[in-house]
Amino acid sequence: MIIKIKRFSVITNQQTELINITQDVQDFIKSTSIANGVVFIISMHTTTGMIVNEGIPDLESDIASFYEKIVPEDLPYHHSRFLAFDGQMGINATSHIRSTLMGFEIFFPIEDGKIQKGLRQNIYFVELDGPQERIFIVQAFGEKI
Amino acid sequence: MIDFHTHPFLVKEFIEDDPELLNCIRNVFGLYFPPQPLKVFLRELDAAEVDKAVLLPLDCSTSNGCKIFSNEQIAKLVSWSPRFIGFSSVDPLNKNASKELEYAVNSLGLKGLKLDPSIQRFEPNSKDYAYPLYYKCRELKIPVMIHCGLSWAPKGKTGYSHPLQLEDVFDDFSDLTFIIPHFGWPWVRESIMLALKHPNVYLDTSIIYSGTPKTVFEQVFMYDVGFNVLEASLSSQILFGSNYPRQDIKRSVEGIKSLNMSKEFYTNIFKNNSEEILTKGKLV
Repeated sequence: MIIKIKRFSVITNQQTELINITQDVQDFIKSTSIANGVVFIISMHTTTGMIVNEGIPDLESDIASFYEKIVPEDLPYHHSRFLAFDGQMGINATSHIRSTLMGFEIFFPIEDGKIQKGLRQNIYFVELDGPQERIFIVQAFGEKI
Repeated sequence: MIDFHTHPFLVKEFIEDDPELLNCIRNVFGLYFPPQPLKVFLRELDAAEVDKAVLLPLDCSTSNGCKIFSNEQIAKLVSWSPRFIGFSSVDPLNKNASKELEYAVNSLGLKGLKLDPSIQRFEPNSKDYAYPLYYKCRELKIPVMIHCGLSWAPKGKTGYSHPLQLEDVFDDFSDLTFIIPHFGWPWVRESIMLALKHPNVYLDTSIIYSGTPKTVFEQVFMYDVGFNVLEASLSSQILFGSNYPRQDIKRSVEGIKSLNMSKEFYTNIFKNNSEEILTKGKLV
């Protein structure tokens, strides 16, 4: 069994933004020479998400808008206060809550050296409090070819 | 749109090779968020639809033994992007402060002076060391921003930053442009009173001290001051300022816009008033 890991850095553009990382994951799996195993894709943050969906721009826009609507900015969140440990205002409770609705990890099986996913399934890193510099980890383990 | 109140203190390109600067930013100013690439700052401006940002440093050499970004560093940042407008900072307790200010403006091209009595630990109405700086600002025709109100900084003493300490200064330098940031919170009424009386005194909107941007701006603009006062008497003396990175730029803009004030008011605070200060220098 072999285990491989890689950290990816991305600088996001918007407060809420879906970034398609499917190709990054596929390229990584190819580089590992793993034939059969599993791959995990994990965000390192508490105001981001990981989702799987169809790779169409209108859906990306709809999903971003929907999460913004169902978690409104103007509710009286307890987090809306000065955070002395950060030196910043905590006016991003909505970003944290949206993150919990998405989860922070995705996994797929690897078979014959390829990620086993549906044809329309794309992997998205979701920014929920951008723009920021973000990190996500891709880790694969399994049997070598 | 211009953001008149930003601190570029978490720009990774400056901090990663300068651990002493990072220590000062953390221990003196109290910012603990991880540094981010300059590109993030620019994208935050984009996301908020802000065209330009005023960069504010702080020279607290006497009080804390460091500069939280030197004037040279601010000038370097300005050279990296036409979207940045650099202010200088000098230590009023330093005998060479006036000369340093002159150099910062005439040689480095910086456009104003930032002072923070709470962190720099000085009396802003001192005729011994503060007034000479104001004379120099008058000579250089540059605006002066003097921190007023609550200081979040761990080394800041808010008692030095009561806006009423500036009443004599505003009287004696009625031809010099002053900016009271944060609406002087919690001394909002005192700050408003000073601005109502002195047309050369501006207020910036970096007032998010608790609550969501919308609720804070409602509290201060609607209840503490009154929309009618802002619209009728102070529309030409208020500047948009976010206090980035303590506060999010985009959410600050959205909070102010949610108040549904007049189009003229928004045009003034987001653009016209800042441009007037920056293009004319000495105003009144």
